Amino acid sequence: MTSESLSSTRKPGTAFGLFADRSQIVLIGILAALCIAISLAAPQFYSEANVIAILRQCALVLIVAAGMTMLLICGEVDLSVGASLAFVGCIGMDVINRTGSLTLGVLAALAFAGTVGLFNGIVATRLRVNSLIGTIATMMMLQGGVFLYTREAVQNHHHLPSFTGLGAGYIGPLPIPVIIAAIVFVVAFVALRYTTFGRYLYAVGASENAARLSGLRAERLKLIAFVVTGLLVGVAGMILASLMNAGQPTAGRGFELTVIAAVILGGTSLSGGRGTLIGTLLGVLVLKVIDNGIIILRWNQDLQMVVPGIVIILATWLDIVRRRADAR
Amino acid sequence: MHAELVQERGGAHTGAAIEMHGIGKRFPGVIALEEVDLVLARGKVHALMGENGAGKSTLIKIMAGVYGRDAGSINIGGREVALRNPREALAEGIKVVFQEIALISEFTVAENIFLERHPVGRAGSIDWKKIRAESAALFERIGFDVDPAARTGDLPVSQQQMVEIARALAHEARIVVMDEPTSSLTPNEVALLFKVIRRLTDLGIAVLYVTHKLDEVFEIADTVTVLRDGRHISTRPIGEHTHDTLIQDMIGRRIDNLFPRSRGHAKGDIALSVKGVSTDAKLDDVSFEVRAGEVLGFFGLMGAGRTELAKAIVGFDPIRAGTIEVAGRPLKPHDTRTGAGLGIGLLTEDRKGEGLMLELSVQQNMSLAALGAFSRAGFVDETREKAAVQGFVDRFRVRTPSLNQLIKNLSGGNQQKVLLARWLMRGLKVIVVDEPTRGIDVGAKSEIFALLDRLANEGLAVVMMTSEMPELLGLSDRIAVMAEGRITAVFDRDAATQENILNAAIA
Repeated sequence: MTSESLSSTRKPGTAFGLFADRSQIVLIGILAALCIAISLAAPQFYSEANVIAILRQCALVLIVAAGMTMLLICGEVDLSVGASLAFVGCIGMDVINRTGSLTLGVLAALAFAGTVGLFNGIVATRLRVNSLIGTIATMMMLQGGVFLYTREAVQNHHHLPSFTGLGAGYIGPLPIPVIIAAIVFVVAFVALRYTTFGRYLYAVGASENAARLSGLRAERLKLIAFVVTGLLVGVAGMILASLMNAGQPTAGRGFELTVIAAVILGGTSLSGGRGTLIGTLLGVLVLKVIDNGIIILRWNQDLQMVVPGIVIILATWLDIVRRRADAR
Repeated sequence: MHAELVQERGGAHTGAAIEMHGIGKRFPGVIALEEVDLVLARGKVHALMGENGAGKSTLIKIMAGVYGRDAGSINIGGREVALRNPREALAEGIKVVFQEIALISEFTVAENIFLERHPVGRAGSIDWKKIRAESAALFERIGFDVDPAARTGDLPVSQQQMVEIARALAHEARIVVMDEPTSSLTPNEVALLFKVIRRLTDLGIAVLYVTHKLDEVFEIADTVTVLRDGRHISTRPIGEHTHDTLIQDMIGRRIDNLFPRSRGHAKGDIALSVKGVSTDAKLDDVSFEVRAGEVLGFFGLMGAGRTELAKAIVGFDPIRAGTIEVAGRPLKPHDTRTGAGLGIGLLTEDRKGEGLMLELSVQQNMSLAALGAFSRAGFVDETREKAAVQGFVDRFRVRTPSLNQLIKNLSGGNQQKVLLARWLMRGLKVIVVDEPTRGIDVGAKSEIFALLDRLANEGLAVVMMTSEMPELLGLSDRIAVMAEGRITAVFDRDAATQENILNAAIA
């Protein structure tokens, strides 16, 4: 263990680095290559409408991915976000229909999604059920539960313009979901990078025992990360319901995979202790640019699942190659 | 059969089991080994010594076929061998028992022993009966008593090591390399290991014993080779060495006193008071007090409950009964946060598992417990954090290229200093250290020692769990001995002898 440690003075600061972190070079390269390739084949890629469309697509994923990044950094995962997303939309829409108040609807959505997060957190930290298993169970309960709640889509009977604005509105040139995502991103970025809370999340993920021995309440930190993720699902769920103008019980299938794929693509480690929000942002952008490229190139839409699968393996492998080169 | 032929031929030429000459190995930017010679005689124990970074690990990894060599020749039985990969090394009869045990914990002992070459019965199925019988026969040969059908993960580390050694025999190894084999063993287990090593040499096996524990070398080795900075320093029969000459060879200078002691006997108020602490797992009515500026050493055999005690009194593990007070204020059991707030912290024996955050930097590791003190409204003031970390790096002489270096790239001694600094940065009244010098080389050991001594002198109460007698006697003001979860005796420094300590530990 001694001699090779001398030789592998790896570049430091995976958890620290700001923008041009070396670990993001691969992703930036992939993103640039994609943008160039797609725009050569379809010049309308750079049209304002298309860029806005991509950003809007990114917003939903990024909002939840911000929470998921925190969860993965502290060594946990939440697979129920897709199922919760659909349920949230139905509840939010239903409450607005009944009360005529957007505020109450949003609050109900947040309360529900936050409670789901809290539940996941309690199962993981108090009952000590592995969160991979625990949140799959939650996902099943939510997927079934939403049909107990409503057999069909909850339609928009209130016709509140402010509700439609949530998904489709603009402030200046920017869609409201993009602005919300940007706010979420900045807050999460600052929290992870500059606060004790963020530093503790990395510590808990890197070694829960070490964190506990150092006087950290590891379980509480994880619980907070679960609740934050839940609340962000609440935000995203309302935006989705607004975009679809209905609470769809079948919405959000596979959403959890997109989110986790983006986070992992961004270099966050599944085993905890490592990851950045910048990476997550890049991961989301890469996935959504691929989606968009497939659409504007009029490729078969089923490739929207195939291509990202290939890209995830490719990017992860390139990252391993890069690390090995760094170690030299 | 082939193997025996080689052995005979080798025997005809020399008594050497393996001859390595002019071995060189470079890693990018580092020369790990240069012109190193090592000749192992059959039926002898050859100790390989040197500080961390001396090149011991690299050399044995070359023997094991894990690394290729850049220069030099390796002869086994007069025939040059390549040792391109671990499989070839194994085929040449070289078996390395690494520090980190490479057994599959879910498998039984017997399955592990025959992992690479299960005996196959009719129809190609594995002959389990034969595996069990052969394992039992092997254990018989090395005089080792364990159930071949036991799940490997359930065995203590010491027995897992024996399983590894048995595995070496099953492979008809003629050269057995042991890398720091006693780092997690109790004195009893060390004695058993030495017995097994002697059996191995009786069978004509050459043993390479890698360690930096001096006492063991004098007890078990026939010959000692010392490496320093990747170079061969000396190879001499153990009879020509004294403790001092060995240390001098290892570190290239003299250490006059391994356990420096600067303290007087001035003691302050009671810093830690433990009354009637019992746990479900182990502890049974443990009571003691430690004063500020005092070092209370705890000795005990493996399983005596020292680590359990350490974890209970800092609030890591729950307790069933009893009270713990730090400087007169009650500690809430099973809550490290209040424990740390009261000023008690643990330097764990399990650096990798419970102490370090391996993938994070020196700075992040060191400032973890004190981060709250560097932050305002939840925001970390990184300038202050960095200054404090740099201060401790200088004060403790932590050898690291930068504060951003990943902690896993540091040597054991430097890692330990970082973990010690983690607590001191926060400010403690009581520090509980569990095997503070485990896996640390002589030079760093002496430094950690001096640090603990200085800290006690500055008024810290130190509770030290150790299984190393020289350490215990060298640093403690009082010595408490544990056996089966109870304190069986407490000695003042002047009244403590190895004999009465061991007697109390066995009681």
